[in-house]
Amino acid sequence: MNLDFTPEEEAFRERARTWLAENLPSEDRPAMGQPMREFDLAWQRTLFEGGWAGINWPVEFGGQGLSDIQQMIWYEEFAKADPPFSLNNSCTFVGNNHGGPTLIACGSDDQKATHLPRILRGEAVWCQGFSEPGAGSDLASLSCRAEIDGDELIVTGQKIWTSYADVADYQELLVRTDPQAPKHKGISWVICDMRTPGIDIRPIETMAHTTDFAEVFYDEVRIPLSNVVGQLNDGWRVAMSTLSFERGTAFMADQVELAKVVENLIHEARTRTGADGKRPVIADDELARRLANCRAEVAALRAMTIAGISRTRRSGIPGPEASMIRLFHGELHQRVYRLALDVIGADAFRLTGVDGDGVWTGPYLQSFAYTIGGGTTDIQRNIVAERVLGLPRVK
Amino acid sequence: MDLLPTPEQEEIIESIRSVLADHHTIGEPASDTLWQAAAAQGWFGLGVPEASGGVGYSVVEEALLAIELGRVAVPGPFLGTILAAHTADATIRESVIGGTSPVALAEAEGDEGGLRVFDATDGGLALRLDDHSLVRLTGLSDEPSLDPLIRLSLSSGEAVASGLDPRRTSVLIAGVLAGIAAAVAEQSVSYGKDREQFGVPIGSFQAIKHRCADMAVRAEAATTQVHYAALALRDATTDADFHVEAAAVIAARAAIDNAEINIQNHGGIGFTLEHSAHRYVTRARVLAAVAGGLRRHQVDLLAANL
Ligand SMILES: Cc1cc2nc3c(=O)[nH]c(=O)nc-3n(C[C@H](O)[C@H](O)[C@H](O)COP(=O)(O)OP(=O)(O)OC[C@H]3O[C@@H](n4cnc5c(N)ncnc54)[C@H](O)[C@@H]3O)c2cc1C
Repeated sequence: MNLDFTPEEEAFRERARTWLAENLPSEDRPAMGQPMREFDLAWQRTLFEGGWAGINWPVEFGGQGLSDIQQMIWYEEFAKADPPFSLNNSCTFVGNNHGGPTLIACGSDDQKATHLPRILRGEAVWCQGFSEPGAGSDLASLSCRAEIDGDELIVTGQKIWTSYADVADYQELLVRTDPQAPKHKGISWVICDMRTPGIDIRPIETMAHTTDFAEVFYDEVRIPLSNVVGQLNDGWRVAMSTLSFERGTAFMADQVELAKVVENLIHEARTRTGADGKRPVIADDELARRLANCRAEVAALRAMTIAGISRTRRSGIPGPEASMIRLFHGELHQRVYRLALDVIGADAFRLTGVDGDGVWTGPYLQSFAYTIGGGTTDIQRNIVAERVLGLPRVK
Repeated sequence: MDLLPTPEQEEIIESIRSVLADHHTIGEPASDTLWQAAAAQGWFGLGVPEASGGVGYSVVEEALLAIELGRVAVPGPFLGTILAAHTADATIRESVIGGTSPVALAEAEGDEGGLRVFDATDGGLALRLDDHSLVRLTGLSDEPSLDPLIRLSLSSGEAVASGLDPRRTSVLIAGVLAGIAAAVAEQSVSYGKDREQFGVPIGSFQAIKHRCADMAVRAEAATTQVHYAALALRDATTDADFHVEAAAVIAARAAIDNAEINIQNHGGIGFTLEHSAHRYVTRARVLAAVAGGLRRHQVDLLAANL
């Protein structure tokens, strides 16, 4: 147990800080559509050119080959630099955080060579086509069909809640390739080119007034069999790898950012006048206690993140304990923004965007997604109880 | 940067566990043999430099010990003794480390200079949680105690030494509380696997399962933050105060929440005096209320520099 950063890590932090100060965009991030895509990809290109893309990806796949601790340091410096946007909202999220890592873990040499450089260079946006109208928490019951025709799959069916489908180039698509097999055994994970004929994308407005996600319809969409990642009908195993990244390290940026959000909120509570029109908000005992609790909780979240990194370093793979961090983080993120709405008083009437400094209502509305997306908190609790604590499963 | 115990620290934890397993039963007063074994093992001087007669580890290993003491709800003056071993007074220190001067915890009661004391011995020493001094107690009168295994007394005392670090006290109390949070989480999980109703283990019901998952997360958050705080204190980092207060807040809440929910998870047996579940509730409540309690830590945490 130690809190020491190696000289190499300290130097890395210094370099990151200097580089961020010079290269962070100053304009606001467009909220949606092509302008948002352009903004996010431009930032990814800037990262790539600066040598900051794929920090913890292996060097052989174009990454920097650095450690998860360095990845965390990078996020800490990013958050400290007062960025005008949140990394968690970027449409490059899927490619960087679970699409790319899944290809590294399970993809063929060709798939890696084709896609990984484009993700890192900011040339391609990925999205995730897992959920369906009838298959949410029970993901394995998915029914989007794919039939083999020569060296192609013909996909027919529907996906839903696909974040950034409208701006994506590729999709991690789960399809049922063997309807006769038990439900976990007949699924394949395929790379779907979003521009293939037969794909119809219909954005859905969210309660945070963005069109982040969409329904996607597939009408006899032809996908080369060579786009199957892993083996045909072995897609559930590949999907578990995707989810281990999504539920493991993907949210580290947000976890780090949350500490900054809490500090900003405490600052708000000190500088705003409270309900009595005289004293600052923080003089309200109940709010002060809740602020203190959140401050303690983001500290513990960081400690848990570091402990998780330590564990992964010893065992090589993120263990099921990662779902404890995800569960704690999702609910804490929500608690912080609920508290924010209580702190800002009359400013709670005004709608803001989801990105930027000193915005509260937009992120508050967005925060409801944190206990739903990527597996609901109820499902995370099931996972913690069954896989970490060993409590019995029932059908 | 690494937040898991080293192999050497794992060994320390194992050895503490085996001593506790040999000499302590949850729900019983601390035995004399436990006290002697603790002294012989060097628990009371664990974090004291060798030059000062201690074992030469640090507050980090003391925190690991505190967590283990919390896990089995050891009553008695262990914590005060471990803390008082850091006094600059060489004579007192020697007898404290040797286990011949058990040290209670105390704080002011009323405005007349009186003290309320936890686990006092007549004529013995106490560590004052309000001014961080050591006092010699005179005249004890016992009070009914929320936690019957913690002797609660009114007394007065005369200062014999001062200048103990309140942050060490906060970290070790947080350690005991984190240990409580973890132990009751495990108790609920194991009861969830054993106890059957409707023909299945109750742990297969989501109401129980989800409460257990939440308990495990709270315990993990508290334990990890205690580790972090102890390291920050050992290394005298600039944000050590912040991390100590964060540990105090999160551990107190985790211990109380988990210990209380643990009773519910056990049904009727959890409400009995015989079962150990209530021991953790009252221990958590007492430790989360001393020295100004959770409220004071929340205030101090908001004021701490990051
Ligand atoms: C902002 C956002 C972005 C998303 N982006 C994507 C994306 O890019 N790609 C993608 O594929 N999906 C995406 N999703 C979908 C997300 O993964 C699903 O919404 C989620 O898995 C829940 O599925 P569901 O919506 O069908 O809810 P349901 O599964 O119908 O759940 C409804 C309620 O029932 C509870 N419940 C269900 N089963 C159980 C159980 N076994 N035990 C206890 N409670 C249970 C749930 O916790 C929930 O409270 C996104 C969702 C959101 C909100």
